Amino acid sequence: MIRVRIPQKNKEIEVRGPRRVMDILAEAGVRPTTVIVTRGKDLLTKDQRVEDGETIDILSVVSGG
Amino acid sequence: MKCKRCGKTPASVDLPSHHSAFCPDCFFVFFRRQVEEGIRRFALLAPGDRVLVCVSGGKDSLVLWDVLMELGYRTEGLYIDLGIEGYSARSKEKVLAYAASRGKEPIVVDLRAEGVPIPEAARIGRKEECAVCGTVKRYFFNRVAAQRGFSVVATGHNLDDEAARLLGNLLHWDADHLSRQHPLLPESSDGLVRKVKPLWRVSEVETASYGFLKGIDYVTEECPMSVDATSLVYKEALSLIEDAMPGTRTRFYSGFLQKHGDAKPGAAPMDVPELFARDTGEEDRPAGTCGVCGAPAYTETCSYCRLKEKVRKAMERR
Repeated sequence: MIRVRIPQKNKEIEVRGPRRVMDILAEAGVRPTTVIVTRGKDLLTKDQRVEDGETIDILSVVSGG
Repeated sequence: MKCKRCGKTPASVDLPSHHSAFCPDCFFVFFRRQVEEGIRRFALLAPGDRVLVCVSGGKDSLVLWDVLMELGYRTEGLYIDLGIEGYSARSKEKVLAYAASRGKEPIVVDLRAEGVPIPEAARIGRKEECAVCGTVKRYFFNRVAAQRGFSVVATGHNLDDEAARLLGNLLHWDADHLSRQHPLLPESSDGLVRKVKPLWRVSEVETASYGFLKGIDYVTEECPMSVDATSLVYKEALSLIEDAMPGTRTRFYSGFLQKHGDAKPGAAPMDVPELFARDTGEEDRPAGTCGVCGAPAYTETCSYCRLKEKVRKAMERR
């Protein structure tokens, strides 16, 4: 399984791999233009494939106020 | 996906709005060029400027400071401690750590010490926190810049911020705000320092990507006061459109700036509807100075000093 963390929402889900980033975002209900997706120190493009056993972070980039 | 610029290295940043994707090194080049073009387009900064960069600890302002230093501008950071329990301490820590990593020490204004911490000021002033925060921050941006001899104040507003603000202004047909919305607000003889938004061409995804790849440790939590900010609703609506039609946000805001007419300070807007006519800086500016603090003001006492007095009286009654 792929571990998907959404730290700003204190949320974590697991999805079956392998899966492209854009598909994981769709499953998590997150719009691609509102986030960056990281794996450790790497920044991932939306077409990148994530494998079972890996952990990724979805970081919101939207600031308000 | 390979980097579209060098064609060799795997891409880390994909930007559908630019039909492009970049490896980290090429993305840095792309990003700097976007900022340089944004500065050049409206002559936001000149080589001799002393730039006061307003930093909150968030990604946009720290990235702005970083890229302006890389481009060779003389900069100092200004951090305003808003007095928000927990959040302010954490954001200040990020600013101090970033500044120290670049051999800098930011100027710090503490709103508790000034007698106007935002949560109390908003409650006592019976206004939305973001509105009060805007008034107080603008006041100190200008005051610190004027007192310390900075020629220009730079803020980290990005394309998403400006497009969201434009959408809000249009939905309300707010001609006054539309006429003043621009990456450049020229200085005026009555004491207003020039204000610029050098990141107006880059999106939030781009500033976040730049910050992440550069290892800039910014505060990722949202300001607790901005949970109900209307700007977030406009951003949500625009991101829905942007996902379906990449590049729309850029065309929306750039098109608006073109309708503003020639953006040179003092130039008359050309052949554009009255609604979009730009405030060139000479009209609708403060008529005088505040009788209390001496800052440029529309009324006898500026809005900051009125707020501060209100907060002081309320505190005294406790």
